[in-house]
Amino acid sequence: MTASLVEQDTARPTRTAAPLGRLLAAEVRWVLRRPRTLVMLGLFALIPIVIAIGIVIADRQMGGGLIGAVAGNGLVLPIAALTLSLTLLLPLAVTMSAADAIAGEAAHGTLRGLLLAPVGRLRLVGVKAFGVLVVAFLAVLVISVVGVVAGSLIVGGGGDVVTLSGTTLGMGEALGRVALVAVWVVGQLAAVGAVALAISSLTEHPLVVLASVLGGLIVFGVLGAIPALDWLQPWLLTSGWAGAADALRDPLPLGGLGESTLRALCYVAIGLGFTAIRMQRRDA
Amino acid sequence: MSLSSPADLGTAPAATSSAAGAVSLAARAVGLRKVYGRTVAVEGIDLDVPTGSVLGMLGPNGSGKTTLIRMLLGLTRPSAGTAELLGSAVPEAAASALPHVGALVEGPGFHPFLSGRENLRRAAAAEPLLASAAIPGAVGSALERVGLTHAADRRFRGYSLGMKQRLGLAGALLVPRKLVVLDEPTNGLDPSGTRDVRRIIGELHAGGATVIVSSHLLAEVEATCTHVAVLQSGSLVAAGELRSLLDAGTGGLVVATPDVDLALTTLRDAGATAFRDAGDEPAVVVSDGPEAPEIVALLVRAGVAVHEARRRRPRLEELFAQLTEGSS
Amino acid sequence: MTAGRTWSRIGVGAALVGAVGLGLVAIPAGAGAAPVLPPVSAQDLVSSVLTAKPGPFNGTVELDNALGLPAIPGAPAQLANGKSTARVWSGDDGKGRLSIPSGADEQTLVSDGSTVWAYDSADRTATKHTLVPGERGPGQRSATDPAAAAAAALQTLGKTSTITVDGTAEVAGRPAYALVLAPNPSERTLLREVRIAVDAEKRVPLQLTVLANGSTDPAVQIGFTDLTFGPQDPSLFTFTPPAGTTVKDEPAPAGTPEGTPGAHPGPPAGTTVVGDGWDTVVVGTMPKPGAQAAPDQRRRDEGGAPDLSSLGTPVSGSWGSGRLITTAVATAIVTDDGRVAAGAVPEQVLTEALAK
Repeated sequence: MTASLVEQDTARPTRTAAPLGRLLAAEVRWVLRRPRTLVMLGLFALIPIVIAIGIVIADRQMGGGLIGAVAGNGLVLPIAALTLSLTLLLPLAVTMSAADAIAGEAAHGTLRGLLLAPVGRLRLVGVKAFGVLVVAFLAVLVISVVGVVAGSLIVGGGGDVVTLSGTTLGMGEALGRVALVAVWVVGQLAAVGAVALAISSLTEHPLVVLASVLGGLIVFGVLGAIPALDWLQPWLLTSGWAGAADALRDPLPLGGLGESTLRALCYVAIGLGFTAIRMQRRDA
Repeated sequence: MSLSSPADLGTAPAATSSAAGAVSLAARAVGLRKVYGRTVAVEGIDLDVPTGSVLGMLGPNGSGKTTLIRMLLGLTRPSAGTAELLGSAVPEAAASALPHVGALVEGPGFHPFLSGRENLRRAAAAEPLLASAAIPGAVGSALERVGLTHAADRRFRGYSLGMKQRLGLAGALLVPRKLVVLDEPTNGLDPSGTRDVRRIIGELHAGGATVIVSSHLLAEVEATCTHVAVLQSGSLVAAGELRSLLDAGTGGLVVATPDVDLALTTLRDAGATAFRDAGDEPAVVVSDGPEAPEIVALLVRAGVAVHEARRRRPRLEELFAQLTEGSS
Repeated sequence: MTAGRTWSRIGVGAALVGAVGLGLVAIPAGAGAAPVLPPVSAQDLVSSVLTAKPGPFNGTVELDNALGLPAIPGAPAQLANGKSTARVWSGDDGKGRLSIPSGADEQTLVSDGSTVWAYDSADRTATKHTLVPGERGPGQRSATDPAAAAAAALQTLGKTSTITVDGTAEVAGRPAYALVLAPNPSERTLLREVRIAVDAEKRVPLQLTVLANGSTDPAVQIGFTDLTFGPQDPSLFTFTPPAGTTVKDEPAPAGTPEGTPGAHPGPPAGTTVVGDGWDTVVVGTMPKPGAQAAPDQRRRDEGGAPDLSSLGTPVSGSWGSGRLITTAVATAIVTDDGRVAAGAVPEQVLTEALAK
């Protein structure tokens, strides 16, 4: 027993870092074992179902907008559910996971363990960003898949989708549009996650992260609604968030989705860059 | 193999790495200083930890033990000075040393919703020296060493303080280590847990590993350590081999005599500081006063029957009290 | 240099790239240097615009409205201050398609040259309108088509304006001449000038800018933000009402349905025009309280006329009494007895017209 405790010098140079794949897998396992992640994902599965039931009950009294466009148009349901969730619930889920990723680990004392293993500090940022992205991806996937299924089964409308422009898309193209919106939403959530990680790297209190990111999103929403501040709009992450409706126009206009994706990528670069700087100096 | 005192190191050039021929060091601090705002947590600490030693780090709460350990491990950046771990500069090159270092710092850090085993697996996944296939085995044997196998699959949330501490210890022992750093390892442990910690430290020491253990329990340190470093208000007040430190201390003179009262009166009349020994046999202790031959002569002249007179080695407790008294 | 510093620098670099990128996304590329084009006289430019045959194209049109009108319930969102966009496809022979998004809804106009379909996604209605010969489809006459708006402005204002060519500019990535119409000194108007950017090659107006007195910022600007000439997919100009749509058949009308009159519409029945050129005043009557008649009213809304009664300030004079509505470029008076006078003119010109 005792002998095995002592490091025996091996011929090959010793590793100074665990394999990245193993770290990523461990992170994903940890993320998915976290009860709140699972509760969130379960909740997301309910959203399209609730909307579908609501639409069926309201039947012909449909209004305009995306929700109105769902009626009798089942494959619009995932797009409407994603757009609706993007305003608050999806950012909430991503922010929660980013808050747990650094601030939460610091609060539990496990960040110390990772740094002592050692996991390089920059590597740690990468691993954590990956974990947050996985949560964003899974949440969007759950809404999209449940949305497609619930849309077909509850709302109906066959495989075709009537666009906002009055044209009809076949099932293949309709699913393509759903996928486009899903990817776009993941991009927007990546931006939220990167900013949340940056705040998470500043604090040991996950609630601080949650409060600041959601508070920030609300402030962005308010700023975006003030006409006198419309020059601010292009800078705000949230200003393109109603743009998923573009996927239901025909011919498909990619300008709005492209611009908001570019903006989101810029937020990702800023957020992760800041996180990397901060993690180099952070005490754990 | 000597642990230099701060004064010794103050004059030594701050070598960047343990030069060939010099004593090999498992850890080293040169002029380490840490300031939080206006509070000086650690002030100019020079410390060498020789390879293979068991260093007990002593000091009252708030004396800077944990901050010193954190700087040695690269968890906290020093405000000034340099640290070295297994010959690598910290924090710059810490990555090459840390795989060989196991640590339990500031309490065990684990996730409440995972079982002990799952928590350890997650920690093991980040250990560079563990092959992926070896992880389950390493986790299992670490759990066994700390006596936690029976509770391994329970959630960490439900662990008692002692079990949490044991799991933290297991985390430090996942991989065969060259250096193990244990910050207050016996916190919350029952007597059998404390014995286990002693046993584990002994095993590590026997296997040639270096151990740094901080504690405020002096008996524990005295029982397990080869070296001691005493901190007081962020400064190192003594450091060295336990034996030589104790030898150098003034424990006083123990005079075994049946005539304790007469002896005390005589000694006090002569201006010496004397008190009744707490031991089983009747004896007096002279902690201050004339030299030993003079004391014996004094007592004999007064008609006190002197059965035995011997120099007393101080307990670590007394040494600690002497070192930390008055300097605060 | 230690690894930590390297990574910190990479972090700083990434953050900077993100910030600069955000700036590039947020701030539209400034107009490049004015393109060098062969000089052209104002007369030649105007006549080439009026006879231009640009051929098929598609593009995106942006309307930047700073008229100062509040959002009126029941009126199109494009009337209120702010930017709105529309997508235009234009084919040959009166074929056209126009998509006007508003929020998560869209109005679509499709003309195949003989039939115009108007589709509204909000209530999923498709309205069919058969064109009478001579009537123009949505691609040509829309208020959201800068080419049509500019041509109308040239026709209406040409006689009472000083027309000059004021250098060149780049609009929608295309070199253009800047044609400026300034009112003759005798004109009593709120407008300072109307600027029209004319595509150098195709001679199509790319942008129309209305500038009012006392302000350097445009009161209204409509223009292409991107424009591509070339053959268009013919399927764009056909429309089949999708399943679940309410289809209405609109008989050949006297008025205009979803389609919109130009910037300066010909007077509908029941209105008179006083004056000409820049100080034209349109006087009309409202069929019932709340019906629309503002000069900026570009589109009739099927859902009912917008309610204007809460707008403006009360005024009165020898002509009666009513409410005065002023914007950056136009003034309107809605009298209590249901008459309306409006024009790009000061209040006094309106009251003179009402008094006639």
